[in-house]
Order: sequence, then structure tokens, then C-alpha cells
Amino acid sequence: MISIIKRILINRTVHYLLLIVIVLYFVTGFGITEFRVVEVATFGLLTKSVAFKIHSNLWIPLIVFLILHIYLSLTKSR
Amino acid sequence: MLSLVALVILITLNGCGLDREAEELEPVEVREYEGIELSSVNEFRENSIKGPQQIDLVNYQLRITGLIENPRDYTYEEVLNRYTHYKKVVTLDCVEGWGVTILWEGVLIRELIQASNPLPDAKAIIFHAYDGYTTSLPLDYIIDNDIIIAYKMNEIALPPERGFPFQLVAEHKWGYKWIKWITEVELSDDVSYHGYWESRGYSNTADLDKGFFEE
Repeated sequence: MISIIKRILINRTVHYLLLIVIVLYFVTGFGITEFRVVEVATFGLLTKSVAFKIHSNLWIPLIVFLILHIYLSLTKSR
Repeated sequence: MLSLVALVILITLNGCGLDREAEELEPVEVREYEGIELSSVNEFRENSIKGPQQIDLVNYQLRITGLIENPRDYTYEEVLNRYTHYKKVVTLDCVEGWGVTILWEGVLIRELIQASNPLPDAKAIIFHAYDGYTTSLPLDYIIDNDIIIAYKMNEIALPPERGFPFQLVAEHKWGYKWIKWITEVELSDDVSYHGYWESRGYSNTADLDKGFFEE
């Protein structure tokens, strides 16, 4: 029972983290190409250079969470 | 006889089209130069800090200031008429990941500043733009690489959204050094001057063979 709960918790955590990474990819992408709008919309928090730094480093967590997401989805359906 | 008179009248009225002045149509950009395929003027992405600037030539002056003996203000026409024109094909590489290969035509900054007699202390040039954007480059780089400020791209005048009247062609440098809408060329001894993007974390050297966050 505990292992099932633990499994569900891990699944959800990975899925939500993947979702956050994907959303961040979009937001930081717009932070680069539409920096004038995004800087104002985020009250100057997401500047173009910050967006660049985040965006260009997001590929690592994206791959990790995507692989985990696929793995957990496949093992769940067995 | 009658037909001869009619012919003379017809020729007089038509003027045979010989003495008519040609009407100027919209300029068309070239897309190939000496075998090199060129990008289109429309392939740039608009990423300036305040959007495209509309500069009225009536009030425009290109100011040469800073560490020089004779500060000067040029009109657009004076720059074009007093200095030799140079052409070169250079690729602009933007940090956003896109690039454009364009035939640029402009005047050498070296000749522009030499006319004002730079002082020995001058080590860098700070460029100022109409929208408040600034960037700087070492004087040696400008001189050694025959760097130009362009007034034409692909044989047409720079459109306002591309930096009319002048854009810097900073070859071998990332796109944020290619300042548009230049209004002032300031000679300085401050080699560590940081322009708009440089003060926000971008590399001040901006060499293409390095990352734009690396110094």
C-alpha cells in the first residue's frame, strides 16, 4: 500500500516537474524573442539575458524528466 | 504628303519617348553578389530595445565626439558625399540563433574619425543610437578590420526598421554590437565601457567564436 502511494507520488512529481520545465521553456523562449513585452509583464524579473541563461540550460532537466515521464508511464501501464 | 505631315505630328506629340524622364520605381534589393547568395532585407527579426526608429534627415546629424581634436557634426549627405564608399558581404549572427548574409555599403569609420584627428589616448569607440542604445568596440578592431557604418544593404537604402540612416557592420561580432540608428561616434579611453546589453550580462568582446556570456 505504501509503495503504491509512494509510486503515485513519484509519478505525479515527475509529471508536474516536466510540465513546469515545458512551461518555462515557452516563457523563457518568449523572454528572448519578445523581451520587450515579457520584461514589462514580469515587472523586470525576466530580462532577456536571464531568459537566455535559463532557456539554454533547460535542456538537461527536460531530457531527464521526459525520460522519467516516459519510463513511469510505460511501467504503470504494465 | 498628307501621311508625311501626320507622321511628323505623331512624332512631335509622342516625342518618340526619347526625351522623357524615367520615373523611379521602388528600389529592388539584390539577392546575389559575385556568386554569393544574399539574405533578404526582410529576413531580419526586429529585436531593438524600443522598436523601429523613424529618423528625419532634416534634423539628423552624425556627431563625431570625444577624444578628438576637431569634433564634427555631419549631415547624412555630407557623410555620403565626402567619404569613399565601400562594399562588403558580411553575415550578421544574432544571439537569438538566426543570421543574415547581406551586401553592405558604407563608409569606413577609420576615415570618418581620422578627419577629426583622434587623440593618442583614444582606445575605444562608443556608439550612440537614436533610441538610447549604446555599444562600444576597441579602436584597433575598427581600424584593423575596415569596419564600416552602412547606409545601404543589398543595394537599397537602409529601411527605417533596419537602422536608417546608419548601421554599424561589426563583422566577427555578435549582433548586439551591430548598432542601428547611429547618431554619435564617441572616441574614448574607456576600454571597459559597457553598452546596453553588455551591462546586462552580455560579453563586452562579443567575439563570434565565443559564447555571448563569456568574456
